[in-house]
Amino acid sequence: MSVGSNIKHDSSYGHVTGESIFVDDREATNSEVFVGIVGSPVACGKLISIDASAALKHKSCVGVYSASDFCSKKWGTIFKDQPIIVEDNIGYMGEPLCIFASTNRYDIEHIKTLFKFKIDKASPVFSISDSVAKNNIIYSSPSAFVQGDVEKVFKSATNILEGTFICGGQDHFYMESQACIAYPMENGQIEVHSSTQNPSETQRVVAEALGLSLHHVVCVVKRMGGAFGGKESQAAPIAAYAAVVAKKLKKPARLILTKDEDMIITGKRHPFENDYKVAFDNEGKINGFKIILKSDAGAYSDLSSSILERSMLHADGAYYLKNVYIQGLAYKTNNHSNTAYRGFGAPQGNMTIESVIEDIACFLKKDAFEIRRLNIYQKDNIKTPYNQNIENNMLPDIFDQLHKSSDYKNRLVEINNFNKQKNGKIKGISFTATKFGIAFTSRFLNQGSAIVNVQLDGSVQVSTGATEMGQGVNTKIQQVVSSAFGIPVNNVQIMTTSTEKNHNTSPTAASAGFDINGSAAIKACNKIKSRLCELAKLIFENTTENNKKNTFTEFEVNNKDLDLDFIFKDNLVTQTSTKKEISFKKLVFKAYNNRISIGEYSFYKTPEIGFCKNTVKGKAFNYFTQGAVVTEVLIDEYTGEMKVMKSDILMDLGRPINPDIDKGQVTGAFIQGMGWVTTERLFYDTDGNLISHSPTTYKIPNIQDIPRVFNVDFLLNKNKIKNIYGSKAVGEPPFLLGLSAWTAVKHALSYRSNGKPVNITSPVTGEVILNKLTDLKNGN
Amino acid sequence: MRKSIILYLNGKMIELGESDSFMSLSNYLRYQKNLTGTKVTCSEGDCGACTVLVSRFDGKKMGQIQAINSCISFMYLFDRCHLITVEGLKKLDHLHPAQKTMIKHHGAQCGYCTPGMICALAAMTEDAKNNVIKIDNKKVKNYLTGNLCRCTGYEPIIKAGLSIDINDVKKFSDIYDQKEMISKYSNLIFDDVKLSHKDQEVYLPASYESLYKNADIKNTKIVSGATDLGVFVNKNKIQLKKVISLNNILESYKIQNLDDKIVIGAKASLTDIEKACKKDFPEFSKSLHIFASPQIKNIGTLVGNLVNASPISDTAAFLRVSNSKVILNNSKTERSIFINDFFLKSYKKLDINSDEIVTHIIIPKEKIKFKLYKISTRKDLDISSVNMAIAYKLDNKIFTSFKLCVGGVGPTTLRLTSIEKEVIGKAIDQKIFKKIAKMAILQIKPLSDVRGEGSYRKILVHNLLLKFCDEVILDNKINVNEISI
Repeated sequence: MSVGSNIKHDSSYGHVTGESIFVDDREATNSEVFVGIVGSPVACGKLISIDASAALKHKSCVGVYSASDFCSKKWGTIFKDQPIIVEDNIGYMGEPLCIFASTNRYDIEHIKTLFKFKIDKASPVFSISDSVAKNNIIYSSPSAFVQGDVEKVFKSATNILEGTFICGGQDHFYMESQACIAYPMENGQIEVHSSTQNPSETQRVVAEALGLSLHHVVCVVKRMGGAFGGKESQAAPIAAYAAVVAKKLKKPARLILTKDEDMIITGKRHPFENDYKVAFDNEGKINGFKIILKSDAGAYSDLSSSILERSMLHADGAYYLKNVYIQGLAYKTNNHSNTAYRGFGAPQGNMTIESVIEDIACFLKKDAFEIRRLNIYQKDNIKTPYNQNIENNMLPDIFDQLHKSSDYKNRLVEINNFNKQKNGKIKGISFTATKFGIAFTSRFLNQGSAIVNVQLDGSVQVSTGATEMGQGVNTKIQQVVSSAFGIPVNNVQIMTTSTEKNHNTSPTAASAGFDINGSAAIKACNKIKSRLCELAKLIFENTTENNKKNTFTEFEVNNKDLDLDFIFKDNLVTQTSTKKEISFKKLVFKAYNNRISIGEYSFYKTPEIGFCKNTVKGKAFNYFTQGAVVTEVLIDEYTGEMKVMKSDILMDLGRPINPDIDKGQVTGAFIQGMGWVTTERLFYDTDGNLISHSPTTYKIPNIQDIPRVFNVDFLLNKNKIKNIYGSKAVGEPPFLLGLSAWTAVKHALSYRSNGKPVNITSPVTGEVILNKLTDLKNGN
Repeated sequence: MRKSIILYLNGKMIELGESDSFMSLSNYLRYQKNLTGTKVTCSEGDCGACTVLVSRFDGKKMGQIQAINSCISFMYLFDRCHLITVEGLKKLDHLHPAQKTMIKHHGAQCGYCTPGMICALAAMTEDAKNNVIKIDNKKVKNYLTGNLCRCTGYEPIIKAGLSIDINDVKKFSDIYDQKEMISKYSNLIFDDVKLSHKDQEVYLPASYESLYKNADIKNTKIVSGATDLGVFVNKNKIQLKKVISLNNILESYKIQNLDDKIVIGAKASLTDIEKACKKDFPEFSKSLHIFASPQIKNIGTLVGNLVNASPISDTAAFLRVSNSKVILNNSKTERSIFINDFFLKSYKKLDINSDEIVTHIIIPKEKIKFKLYKISTRKDLDISSVNMAIAYKLDNKIFTSFKLCVGGVGPTTLRLTSIEKEVIGKAIDQKIFKKIAKMAILQIKPLSDVRGEGSYRKILVHNLLLKFCDEVILDNKINVNEISI
């Protein structure tokens, strides 16, 4: 059975040979035009007029389009408040004001410079604090999450710490920037080939922009060159631009963003400023925790409300909070409209409490691990702040096992001694955890569909609503389908995602792409299998003699439940009770000849979930993916330079469908998280121009930055997990572990702070470290 | 005068006409040849997605295959070269060993960086095969320093690199018949090449003599590796009109390692210089190690870096304290000046006449020691916030020579001569360095930008001087009570 094995990624051959086709790898047709976007030169103001005369005079420019060319003016996944293209009010620097088409791809950059705009400038707001002062709330949570009575606890608390945790945003830096080609088809239809995590949303936004019904728009997604949440909502307007041009000119239109343009135009991870207050006893047990999460939504709401909600849902981290108050507010600013990014708000919530625990340890002069161990969810059936019972809780096992395997105790002693020596270097170590809730918190998104078509030669084509962005969802679906039919993985092909096959697709997001679509595929397989079993039974029961007499007999099946007497294995379908067998291929052919369907569409919805944010009731998550990490860092006290020396990760992923794919998700997510809290600094000038808009200035981790020693292990979880094949989702949960590099720096700096908690912001670049060290030295 | 560019692409000869010759290599591959395995992410040579392999004819044979960034290279730079793309690695369904191990170890997730990674790994295996070097963790990381991946966290890619069976690797010279290339190119070595397309013009002289004779240096941009110019062109910041490329001047690639000096030709790559300086200037060689990506260093030059005159150039600080000289030539005379005097006081201004070109850099082998520091947000593949070069001589614990140059703190790299004077003639002493560290901060006016606040750069300069002092104390086994910081 291929489930549980390290089957190679289904696109890996194409990837290593360069044969995999991404959007811009599609060969341009003769008549194709290339689309450019012209962005706003101010962050806030009113667009009065566009002077495109110089552009239109350019020999290859064949059209300029602005808001009046779009049938819909606003889009937005949750609230429709974002202009598809600026109509009047400008919300952020670089916001698209108009688009143009050129017959020559090499002229795009030049034509962009030929536009003039008349704009009434207004004064922008860039920081959360300025937006708070103006009370520019874009969304606030309808209800706080409350358990017990924090205010009462604060009154009688032994120890109290309070402060503000501040973290910056993060660019997705997917290697393939936003890309789309729109093809005009017969009968006014449009087919868009988009690099999107959300084909149905893209289809909808395109249809609205063009004034078409949904049945006239098809969105096709072969694959993405990385997405990480950045193509969940934001691919849609890009596709709309290409589609509008395609429709106007009746020619294929290609829009490929440059990296600089992509980084300037598109939204990023939300910066947060979280006010907290914590009460704890002398052992470090947290008795009360109050947190007000404040995010920078940017110019429009996008997914900010859901992201804020998930942030609130993860403000407890891995820790049980008996008395707790969690509230969240998203603020409007004149920054790019911030959006989904791996973790979806959870990292910013989780990081606050990990930071607070680091401070408590420093305050009590205790080992932070002991305090964490004391405060984690210790068992099942205790309530989270949002009233969900913790089930199948592996945190104590994870903590104890990793504490031992990482040799944390001895290393801490070694670090204590090392830091006493004063040799120009300090070390820090930190043990942090992730307890990531799996499911979309919007209940309606927890649905998926699959089409499974068995071909006459016994090979299988599968189409689902999942989109492949490298995470291996197609490979995992390939594995479960091949296991279901007992055929080799090579006999299963996952087909291009398209809204004409799978409609109303949920975005491939929330780590749940495989859970939902894989489950739908299995359901479809089972329906086909049940018919094949019925047929096999009939075939086995009818002797050869009978068949000879009446060759015209047609078998009929009644879609019964799957007959568990049959096993699909090694290309054979075997009846266990009679030991009779028939090859899968032969059975499939017989089914066809007997006019029995060997294809199936199936629909799946995640059972039992549904969280009401107004009442804070109902089950928010299907289950939790948990894990922990120990990270050690080394800091040069002269320069503030920091190296991550070692990270040991232990994850509970249930029973992984493909352990190597999951391991790749863990290492990838961890390094991305580490980058967010260390070197990835978004730098803007005072006008709101993003200056760090390319890899020269925006530093994601490179190969030399990963921990010098890097171990990833999976916990053996024998519990029954209510998910496909007992597996657990992996995409986002380990991202949260990356922040251990930040808490480890905090720990290292605490050796120079005279026992006072160290207040630092994120990302903790060398500059932040050196400034802090200098401040501490000067007694600040 | 030849009016075309002749090169081999994946083993097949191609003669490029005048329009294609001005394209970037990645655009040519992707949009003219439909070889879309080569990807473009950043268009500035900082991510490695566009990595391809190149081998250059050196007058006798084809040079070793090296990885380069195709997005910032122009086609005219590859006259007399053999270019190999990811599509050229697989021969008749027989995968390159790096392709096999990347599949096996899940080194590819989204797949967008993968072809570039594969090419960089192929450059590594070629090096390992040719020079009988063992592939270890460090080697893999060093060869992939210029390749960003956002999906994997690199771990599976390193595993793939380490798992390559070197016995399974075939040399490129065994895969592609080089005899034909060599005989073809041998006939071209005296060709002057001149191409023009619309308002663009490029001249590739076969020798310096031709260059002086035929070229109007005054009104022309000299292009070497184009690692900076390529970026400017891509980002629409400049339009190159008239260009001279030194690429076909064979003697310009030379590095002469003599008894008393190293003489570096204008086209000598930073990779070759890093190797050549390893023994005599280990500190400089080490600084080149983290200077840029292998792709950039394989094509970028020291002369280019010098003439570019960036105030944060990592090499300039070293060249200014090492008594290095630059050789300038026009058609009539040759002059040599200390690189320290080559830099004039304002931003990007050099002591160079409009009809001169830089042909050589000379680093003298003197009995001085160096300490070079580079501080950047990311250790590798990043531009410095501050860099510092110190050349010193310590006789009996007394500084008989002390030269200090700092980058990133003003419009040019800065020699702090008044501070040098404070140190020369004095014994090494933490107190003196604490004093000069404070003095240094008063002498610099660093800007605040994306690479750091001015105040941060000041602290860095201050602390690096203390670090230098403590390191020298440690190197010389002098007893002190505590470190300076």
